[in-house]
Amino acid sequence: MGSILSSFSGFAESTGINALVEMFRNGEWVEAIGTPIMIIIACVLLYLAIVKKFEPLLLLPIAFGMLLSNLPVFEGAIMHPEYFTDPKFLKPDGGLDMGLILKNGGLFDILYLGVKLGIYPPLIFLGVGAMTDFAPLISNPKSILLGAAAQFGVFFTFVGALLLGSLVPGIEFGVKEAASIGIIGGADGPTAIYVTKTLASSLLPAIAVAAYSYMALIPVIQPPIMRAMTTKKERGIVMEQLREVTRTERIVFPIVVTIVVALIVPDALSLVGMLMLGNLMRECGVVDRLSKTVQNELMNIVTIFLGLTVGATATAANFLTLNTIGIIALGLIAFCISTAGGLLLGKIMCKLSGGKINPLIGAAGVSAVPMAARVAQVEGQKENPSNFLLMHAMGPNVAGVIGSAVAAGIFLSMFAK
Amino acid sequence: MTIEEALKIGGKIPNWIDSLSIGGQVTVIGLIIVFTVLVILMFVLKIMEKIFAPKTAKNQNETPEIVAPVVEEKKVEQKPVTVVEEDDEEIIAVIMAAIAASLNTSTYNLKIKSFRRVSNTAPAWNKAGLNETINSRF
Repeated sequence: MGSILSSFSGFAESTGINALVEMFRNGEWVEAIGTPIMIIIACVLLYLAIVKKFEPLLLLPIAFGMLLSNLPVFEGAIMHPEYFTDPKFLKPDGGLDMGLILKNGGLFDILYLGVKLGIYPPLIFLGVGAMTDFAPLISNPKSILLGAAAQFGVFFTFVGALLLGSLVPGIEFGVKEAASIGIIGGADGPTAIYVTKTLASSLLPAIAVAAYSYMALIPVIQPPIMRAMTTKKERGIVMEQLREVTRTERIVFPIVVTIVVALIVPDALSLVGMLMLGNLMRECGVVDRLSKTVQNELMNIVTIFLGLTVGATATAANFLTLNTIGIIALGLIAFCISTAGGLLLGKIMCKLSGGKINPLIGAAGVSAVPMAARVAQVEGQKENPSNFLLMHAMGPNVAGVIGSAVAAGIFLSMFAK
Repeated sequence: MTIEEALKIGGKIPNWIDSLSIGGQVTVIGLIIVFTVLVILMFVLKIMEKIFAPKTAKNQNETPEIVAPVVEEKKVEQKPVTVVEEDDEEIIAVIMAAIAASLNTSTYNLKIKSFRRVSNTAPAWNKAGLNETINSRF
């Protein structure tokens, strides 16, 4: 009887409820109060993903990963974010202690290596490349400039984050953090994660959540800016039909882009190279099986791993800080300025071309394929029901993917030392 | 302050003027590189267009002047009553796209002024054969 009771109390001591009580007893207030808050945040995100359908494919794994890693336990935690950021657990040279991670790490620690070593984001780009049709860009080379203009927001936000760091006590944004926050303006989840895991991995959960939430909110964020910056007449401009693109062009394009980008910004190569490899698989027509795999099975698998583990890094100590609030605010600014930058160049190109280019397609220069292009289509059609901007907007849209990958490469080459 | 010094600090930059100057430097360098890369890609695309673009594309550029802007299309008429019930705009859009495809030009060069069904004079057996062929394609 006594042995039953003692094993029962042993079990009671090992429960999560006891772990939570212990936190209060030991005065670990951030964890004790933060843990329930984080569980509530995770549930809210689950609600947004399931009921409101905000990027559910990513937000659902992120939110559940957040939930799993925040449940109080004594031992055998599923994720130890401190192994990746806390100097106590890192090697003296700042590198990861692989032995420790493999020996003590939980399931998510092992999976998170894919993020930390920069494996998942390029694999997602492989799938994105296989799903993307670059023909609208090839047939209208000028639209690539709009993809560059939409990177204004990235750099503007970089400055904003630095200023916020200097002016607001309690917010710790150095150049590395500012670069990671700025890249949210690229509106490209994998790129933001790729930069952040290298430069400021403790900000990863906040930046990933901000980037994906704002991408889901693009149909809400962009239209007011589009309407404010363009006239009714400009929005109604009907663009000339795009020329047809030959198969040779489609095949040569990814190869040439890879070579050009590699020669100028080698740090962007793992992203752009994978994007273009995926696209070559799609266009060459001889490896249909590979193309299907990278855009479906592989992409889905990697998305699950990426979402779960990025969400799991969002523990109370990591997430409930003033920094997160700063990131959420700056992320929104980044999206707005990127949209405005694209629209501004769109307007200039509209003037220069004698009114042949609808400035709305400039707003699609923020990546977020294909939502941003759809928003341009919807806004254009509101003014002129016979206006079909979708394919024209896809040009700047896919150029934005290349543009933000290049911006990421620039940040990495400057700050990843 | 230079970018190297800012990196050495590691954390936040204490002075907001330094923040602005670092931010400004990075912005200028960054935007110049982004635009350089994409402008180079733009020229590469233009060169590609010169080398690989199909000759029909050039013809298409000339056609807008040649193709008459007004095309009247006659369509088969069998049940005049149903026509009224259907969505006219949708039919016109489909007819326009079909004409554009058959004339190898853009819909913007076409203007449909009117359309009406014409009676089908083909023998019943021909019609049946046509329907069968169409149905077998689905």
